[in-house]
Amino acid sequence: MTDQEIIGLIDSSLQEEFELEAKIMTPEASFYDDLGLDSLDVVDMVIVLEAAFGFKIREEEAIRSIRTLGDLHAFVIAKKRKLEGTA
Amino acid sequence: MNATVYPLLLLWSLLCGLLFPLYFGLARLLTRWDAGRIMRLYIWLYGRGWLGLTAPFVPFRRENFDRDPLPTPCILVVNHYSFFDTYFMGGLPVFDVAFAVRSWPFRMFWYAYFMRLAGYLDVEGDEWEDCLASCRKTIAAGGSILFFPEGHRSRDGRLQRFYSGAFRVSIELGVPLVPLCLTGTDRLLPPGRAWLRPARVRLRTLSAYAPSDYPGALGYVRYRREVRDAMTRELATMRAGRK
Repeated sequence: MTDQEIIGLIDSSLQEEFELEAKIMTPEASFYDDLGLDSLDVVDMVIVLEAAFGFKIREEEAIRSIRTLGDLHAFVIAKKRKLEGTA
Repeated sequence: MNATVYPLLLLWSLLCGLLFPLYFGLARLLTRWDAGRIMRLYIWLYGRGWLGLTAPFVPFRRENFDRDPLPTPCILVVNHYSFFDTYFMGGLPVFDVAFAVRSWPFRMFWYAYFMRLAGYLDVEGDEWEDCLASCRKTIAAGGSILFFPEGHRSRDGRLQRFYSGAFRVSIELGVPLVPLCLTGTDRLLPPGRAWLRPARVRLRTLSAYAPSDYPGALGYVRYRREVRDAMTRELATMRAGRK
C-alpha cells in the first residue's frame, strides 16, 4: 500500500464510522475541535482502524498523543511500514 | 411541582439507601440470584418509585410493549434528552437491565457503588474488551443491556449521531436489539435547567432488530444507520401527536 492509499483508507473509514464530510478531512483537522469527536469516539476509532488494517494499535503508547488527522496518518503509515519491515 | 418532587426524591433516595442492606441480605437468602441481578431489580424498583412520586405532574405511558414484547435478553437503545431519562427506565416491563454509561456517573459516590454492583458498564473508562466481557456475562445470565447511543443529551431535540457500541455488542453476542423512543423528558428537565416542568412522558418500543441481518465487517454501520433512521421517524410521529 502506498502512503496515499493508507491515508485514503483511514479517511474513508473515519468518514463512514463518524458520518464526517469529506471536505473537513484535512491533515490539520483536530479530532476534538474540528471533527467533533470525543473520548468515546477514540474507542470506536481504534476498533475501525484495527479492522481496516488488520493490526492492533490499542496498546500503542503513541496513539495517546495523536491530536490531528495528520498525526493519525503519520502514526498508521509508520506502524504499517514497521510491520512490513519485520515481515 | 419542584417543591414537592425534589424533596420526595431525596426522601425516596434516602429510604432506598437505608433499606438496601436489609433488601440485599433478604434477597441473597431467598433467591439464587447473583448480586448484579438483585441490584438491578432494586434500581428498577427505585425507578418505579420515581414514576409514582412524579405521577401527579408527569403522567407516564408505555406504548407498544403489548404488540412487540421485549425479547430477553436483548440490547436496548434509547434516545437521550434529560438527566431523568434513566429514572423512567423504571417504566420498562423488565427489570433485569444493566446500563451502559459514561464515566461521570461513576464519579458520583452515592451512585457508583450501586452501579458497580449492578454490573453497569463504564463505556468511557473501561476497555472495549472488558465492556464486551461484562455484557457477555450479563446476557448469559439472562439480563439485557441498555445504551443511550447518542452518548449525550440532545440539546435541540433532534437525534444526534450514534456511537457504535450497542450495535457491535448486538452483533458480537448475537442478541436482538430493540430501539426505544422516549418523549417528554426534554420538557421535564432539558440540559442546562434545574427546575422541573410538568410533562407527559411516553416510552414506545419499536420492533426488534436481528443482528444476523447485518453481516460483514461494516454491517454494524448499516445497522446503526437503519436503527437511527427508524427512531428519527418514530420520534417525529410521536412529537406530531400521531399514532
